[in-house]
Amino acid sequence: MSAPARTLVVDADVHCAPRSLEDLLAHMDPYWRTYVVEAGIGLSPTQGGAYPARIRPGGEPAHAVDELPVDAAVAVLTCTSTFQSNRNPYYEAALCRAVNDWLLEQWHTRDDRLRVAMVVPTLHTEAAVEEIARIGGHPAVVAVLLPVRNDTRWGTVGNRAVLRAAAEHGLVVTLHAWGRAGNAPNSSGMTHSYLEDYLANSQLVAQGQLTSLVVEGVFAQLPDLRVTVAECGSTWLPTMLWRFDKDWKGTWREVPWLDRPPSEIVREHVRFTTAPIHLPPDPGAARETLDLLDPALLMHASDHPHDHGDGADRLAAVLTDDEKAAVMGGTAAEWYRLGL
Amino acid sequence: MTQTLDAPARAGRRTTHTIVDTDIHPVATQASILPRLSAGARRRFETFGSRVPAPPEIYPRVRNSGFRLDSWPESGPPGSDLELVREQLLDGFDVDHGVLIPLQGHQWGAEAPEYSAELCRALNDWMLEEWLDVEPRLRGSLVVPYETPDLAVEEIRRHAGDPRFVQVLLATGGESGFGRRRYWPIYEAAVEAGLPIGAHTGGLEQHRGAGWPSFYLEEHVWNGNMMGALITSFLTEGVFAHLPELQLVCVEGGIAWAPALFWALDDGWSLLRDDVPHLTRPPSELLRERLWFTTQPIEEPADPAELATVLRHLGMDDRIMFASDYPHWDFDSPQHTPRLFPAGSREPIMGANACRLYGLPLRGAA
Repeated sequence: MSAPARTLVVDADVHCAPRSLEDLLAHMDPYWRTYVVEAGIGLSPTQGGAYPARIRPGGEPAHAVDELPVDAAVAVLTCTSTFQSNRNPYYEAALCRAVNDWLLEQWHTRDDRLRVAMVVPTLHTEAAVEEIARIGGHPAVVAVLLPVRNDTRWGTVGNRAVLRAAAEHGLVVTLHAWGRAGNAPNSSGMTHSYLEDYLANSQLVAQGQLTSLVVEGVFAQLPDLRVTVAECGSTWLPTMLWRFDKDWKGTWREVPWLDRPPSEIVREHVRFTTAPIHLPPDPGAARETLDLLDPALLMHASDHPHDHGDGADRLAAVLTDDEKAAVMGGTAAEWYRLGL
Repeated sequence: MTQTLDAPARAGRRTTHTIVDTDIHPVATQASILPRLSAGARRRFETFGSRVPAPPEIYPRVRNSGFRLDSWPESGPPGSDLELVREQLLDGFDVDHGVLIPLQGHQWGAEAPEYSAELCRALNDWMLEEWLDVEPRLRGSLVVPYETPDLAVEEIRRHAGDPRFVQVLLATGGESGFGRRRYWPIYEAAVEAGLPIGAHTGGLEQHRGAGWPSFYLEEHVWNGNMMGALITSFLTEGVFAHLPELQLVCVEGGIAWAPALFWALDDGWSLLRDDVPHLTRPPSELLRERLWFTTQPIEEPADPAELATVLRHLGMDDRIMFASDYPHWDFDSPQHTPRLFPAGSREPIMGANACRLYGLPLRGAA
């Protein structure tokens, strides 16, 4: 009698971060080393307030591979340290190159379960494309990590080359919570509370990004593009798609390149990580919510070191065994073409 | 939709339930406003116009300028002719009460302070004289210079106690989040006058954290998010804690998004109590006591049972109020709308809920 097969676990969102820019200097050329050292540039330990270490859902991410708790066959490293780069686009490009090399050399090489969501500059499209050309073909690189908070929506035409490069390299585009802090995360000005700022990722900004990708015809133009929405919730999706489909039926003349309902496009091209997942405490209502969403869209994420509360437990309590297996690893294995 | 709707003949049998339309858009022509301005404001209006862009300038509506094709009067823009509003809406659908929401207030409320105050005063006076005094079925939303709260307070006090105005109009977007303390005098004055705040989709929209949409479709989908942002701002900045009597009506922002936002707020709140010490109980509990929703443009899934599920999760059928959004392209008729809701909630949603909030008589009660 053989032992029961262990459920395949893929962790779609695990954070690590350089302790400081010192960790990255070896991956920078002399010009940027001098720039960093002489200007006294640092890495914000909270990423511009995104993750105060002392609060839930904050915490200190692993700085070295032996600090990282990995409980999965494969874990996708999402290093968001570059999200708070200064406004110099050439520096941002150099920082991204350094982080990518650091991720490959210091993390993947030491633990090959760790795969890389590579970072790219958000202010310099050509450099982003070059960076994808430089390392996007590395077998450990499985995704291109983009912040949801950005100068421009990712679907807009100026960003298309980045998405195209990702698609051509067979990479998932991971839209992750947070990003530049210079703009308010809503239409009406800066927030006072962390709570408002934090929830803006899931309730506002990610939804704006997703809408943008669809209406601009990105998926029509790049039919192989897969997008993961990470750390931005998911249970807002069904009702947002009802609105999107209804509005599309009324205004399709404006976007004739959309030849089918937005909901179909999203469900085909987009997946969501499970941290956070906002579900009602009542298991019956939670199950109904998942039926509206479709658990096939979900991919497990530990989101180390962040703690978003009870959602993951509420989710686990109402999934069937088959759904659980898919959410825990099956869906991600296929999505990221992990060959497991 | 943009095709002409066949309104039922007035002579047909009346339904027994009350119909209240909580979102009707009248439009003031320049000729209606100019005589109501001081010489200085008039000169400014004629020379500089409005410095605040209206949403259609940024996101053009795709057809018919965003209006029902049949809603143009003989002269003037849709919504400028009371006779046509009577014919196509009040008489046509046997509406008992209608609440006017002049969207020009969204722009004019954000102009230079005194100018803004004059424009809003003129719009309110125009509403009173040309609509509310002439058509007793109509009520008004008080337009205020919302970016200059001290002057907004003056305008609210000027009309306090006038039963023809049933709420103070706010947009969903301002220069700052509307929960900010600088706006609180507006809400204090509203509570003092016994009026709810009606926040209608629109107003000023800045970067949105992800940049600007490119299309009207994209901007229209965002309306629900804008409303969610407004609620979150009110909640996290402490408006509801500061004013226990304040009621907030979410107009033209959809409804079905609310449960997911409530769960997110509750989860976030339970993790971050130190961040918002004024919130002493789960946000969803508080919001269920403070919010009202209007129906148009409600989210419509392919399977209506799914909407029923979400409305059950929301549990606020007693705070949802019918709205047609006349004369806009996505008008919902009082005939079609009830079927979207569970049978037991239809009559309250079509009228009784609004009567309770706005203090209006039920059909047959007079």
